Amino acid sequence: MVTIDLAQTPVRKLNETLRGFGATHQNAEIINPDAKHYIGVGLISPILVRIRGSAGYYCGGLCDGPHFQVDKNVSWGVGDNLLRGSIVVGGNASAIAGVGMRGGEIVVKGNIGSRAGQVMKKGTLCCAGNANFMAGYMMYGGRVIIVGNSGERVGEDMMGGEIYVGGNVDSLGNDAVLADPSSTEIESVMTFLDRYDLPFRGAFKKIVCSGKTLRYATAEPRLRKLPFYSFSSGAGQDYWNVKVQEDIRVKAQIGRYRIRGYGASRHLPHFSDIAFKKDIAGAGKDPEVISKINLRTFIGDNHGGRPLDLSMPVMIAPMSFGALSAQMKIALGIASRLSGISENSGEGGMLSAERAEARQMIAQCLAGRLGWNVHDMKRADCVEIYISQGAKPGLGGQLMAEKLTKEIAAVRGIPAGMDLRSPSRHPDILGGDDLIMKVEEFREATGWRVPISIKLGAGRIRDDIKIALKDGIDFIELDGMQGGTGAAGSEVAEYVGIPTISGLQEALDGLEEIECAGRMPIVLMGGIKDGVDAAKAIALGATAVAFGSTMLIAAGCITCMQCSVGSCVIGAATQDPEHTKRFDIEKRAIQIHRFLEAVRWQLAAIVSEHGYADVRQMSRKDLVALTPEAAALTRLPYDPGYRR
Amino acid sequence: MCSIAGILFKNGKRPNLGMTTGEALTEMMDACRHRGPDSAGWALYKEPKEGRLRLRFFVNRGAGQSEDIARIREGLARHGAEIVEDEAIGCTYGVVVKYSGHVQQFSYAVERVGHLVSVGSSLDIIKDVGQPYGLQKLYDIGRFDGSHGIGHTRLATETGVHPETAHPFWATGFADVATVHNGQITNYWIMRRRLERRGMEFRTENDTELIAVYLACKMSQGVLMEDALRSSLDDLDGTFSYLVATKDSIGYAKDKLAAKPMVKYEDDDMIALASEEVALNRLFPGRALDTTEPPPLTCGLWSRQSTALTGFHPETAGVSSDVAGWTLSKEKASRGREARW
Repeated sequence: MVTIDLAQTPVRKLNETLRGFGATHQNAEIINPDAKHYIGVGLISPILVRIRGSAGYYCGGLCDGPHFQVDKNVSWGVGDNLLRGSIVVGGNASAIAGVGMRGGEIVVKGNIGSRAGQVMKKGTLCCAGNANFMAGYMMYGGRVIIVGNSGERVGEDMMGGEIYVGGNVDSLGNDAVLADPSSTEIESVMTFLDRYDLPFRGAFKKIVCSGKTLRYATAEPRLRKLPFYSFSSGAGQDYWNVKVQEDIRVKAQIGRYRIRGYGASRHLPHFSDIAFKKDIAGAGKDPEVISKINLRTFIGDNHGGRPLDLSMPVMIAPMSFGALSAQMKIALGIASRLSGISENSGEGGMLSAERAEARQMIAQCLAGRLGWNVHDMKRADCVEIYISQGAKPGLGGQLMAEKLTKEIAAVRGIPAGMDLRSPSRHPDILGGDDLIMKVEEFREATGWRVPISIKLGAGRIRDDIKIALKDGIDFIELDGMQGGTGAAGSEVAEYVGIPTISGLQEALDGLEEIECAGRMPIVLMGGIKDGVDAAKAIALGATAVAFGSTMLIAAGCITCMQCSVGSCVIGAATQDPEHTKRFDIEKRAIQIHRFLEAVRWQLAAIVSEHGYADVRQMSRKDLVALTPEAAALTRLPYDPGYRR
Repeated sequence: MCSIAGILFKNGKRPNLGMTTGEALTEMMDACRHRGPDSAGWALYKEPKEGRLRLRFFVNRGAGQSEDIARIREGLARHGAEIVEDEAIGCTYGVVVKYSGHVQQFSYAVERVGHLVSVGSSLDIIKDVGQPYGLQKLYDIGRFDGSHGIGHTRLATETGVHPETAHPFWATGFADVATVHNGQITNYWIMRRRLERRGMEFRTENDTELIAVYLACKMSQGVLMEDALRSSLDDLDGTFSYLVATKDSIGYAKDKLAAKPMVKYEDDDMIALASEEVALNRLFPGRALDTTEPPPLTCGLWSRQSTALTGFHPETAGVSSDVAGWTLSKEKASRGREARW
């Protein structure tokens, strides 16, 4: 046992030392912890760490294997996302103890704060004292043992797992019910208490999910196949068009909002309403143009992490394994490698085959912490915190039961066969100040090695980008309302959010307002369909762009907009083996790669035609707006004369 | 989007922390500076003197400062306040004046000649853009060794980074009341219009000023501070952990979701409240403290004259919230219980 004095050692150094100890199976004792944050974050070795005092936020967070003993209290998020190992707290634990835990054991000898065990999936969280309100909030699995009183609304919106209460059940949360515990279950609880010397005489009450809200009552009927353009409200399409009729008929059957894939389909001001001042009709005559233009882009080294190295200012947008098939995700990984750009895990965990194929992989962390774990963070090239997306800003993801197969459920660490509605809000990011703390935890877990980005749906972006800058984020992925999704309420996809070009302008204006223009790289996405759009976005002020729906279409998507149904005919957005077997990974990967190379060529040709040698020389001065709307949103000069 | 800190010594006791009260507040704020890197501020309660008022104004730094000060001095004289002491420091100008009239009318009037930061017989608010340690040095906060004070570091989210958007906020028009706040009041405009109809004035669009004015307005109607704190739990919507200080007390209130952290340490001699335990540990390095985290929908008040703690749990105490004729209680309470994350 080696003693480390935290009065002398910064926490970052402590965590490096602990990782070294872990490699040599050396236990450690920490003195003078003085409630400092992030102690032991990201440790993946089964060593013992004794903390002689109180620890701060995220004590033992993002760990796999170690055993922590804390003499006194811990602050928010003790044992965040614990995979294996144990944490024993001698005093009290603050809010969200055991948030998103996926295994191991956390024992708090005193009381626990509110929302203990929020979105936990596995393992045991035990409190020898009383719990505060909403213990077991949105838990998917695992076991919460509260020896004292439960607090108000225990088990609020729980979806799986069990809560045992020794004292009073103060009140039950939404969708939680009392159930009879079996003798084996009680025995198992008592054995657990004995193991940690927690005496208890009395009877435990058991609380489980009633299951009433896990599935929608009526399944949505299959849509007729309506082509995408029938969904767009062009001239003469405004009233009782086929889309509106279908909408009304479906709602008459199911009595709720409809769910569909893709983003806003109605006409919105977009890059097609912006033109280059220069006539680029002659672009592309030079077959060597790609080799003459510098497109290479580094992004994400604002805080000393190793930046992403993109062969052109392009990324693949975050799309989840779950919404997409494994085959489609692997094809994206291959294509990203072939074109020298980055791929993104999206919600719900990282697929190993995809990780292996992609040279650069972004690991995305969402509010439900589905599939989230320290090992994926460590093998990622960038960690991204999802706040919201353009298609449904402010709302969580949806994955209908048809697509939540056993395999997907296992990767996500949740029960299969429910209509999964992911939480819209992070348990531990309720404001800009909490975000700072989460970013620091992630930096500790990854040893300050990789960039940390956030994904923002365009909404209140003028303020949000300022917060991102202050919170030490390396770059933002900004998603406009044309951005696609695997499933969203139809009205939400169509009417919530702000257009992509407007989002970009608001973000740039926000930075300008605090005299930080150019200090926060923006990766723009949402309806960007080719290299021409990409060149315009970069000229307007984006650092790079990302393609989502475009990648699917390049891989053969027929834009039926029924991604949520789970029977995607090309095998891209389905988990049904009948359909995925039709998906030829190699062929589709090559198609996507070829498309990306077309983007590269377009970018290079446009840059060259402007007489520049580097894509970053493109600027607002090269653009005009063709419509009054686009001019108003971007403040580009309005000049319909450029319309051809 | 911030951190809050407060400290109060009870019954004239002064445990040896090895630092002054001002330094203690600064240490607590520095421990949480990651939560608010933009600006910092202190509400310090100094010894009152009979018939005297302390006023602090924002003035221009450098160019234009002497004009600002001249205008303020002239205005004070015009409103019957005789300057006893004055100092220009940083972006502020502080004065002690002889004045015995109506404070609310006086301060509303004085607002027209200069940008008031605080008014009170003992309250002195110092706030600026920057970080606690740097500002402590600039404004000589370490010199303050009084019985109580509150402090704040701010991460600006919706309004800009200026000295005037920093916390603490003075309850405009009411002597000696100041608040600091972490969170966001979502029914700001409803509450503000309600208070404006009662003649209250606001100097900013910051929700923290609203909390201060709300509490001070209630007290001016004869409501006890503890009742005002309790009714704020019902009247204010949103996420909040806030601290309020008066001439001889500090109190807190925490919203029904407990979305914003706050930890307290209390012993026979003192009470300290902060956003994070790491701040409390700055007062007692190397000690594992017996701290507690106040539950959601609670408030508390400590006075420096008495060791008695007043802590409220409105739900269990069964206290009605329609104090002083402010109708809301039942409908609001039931809505509150249905609120979701």
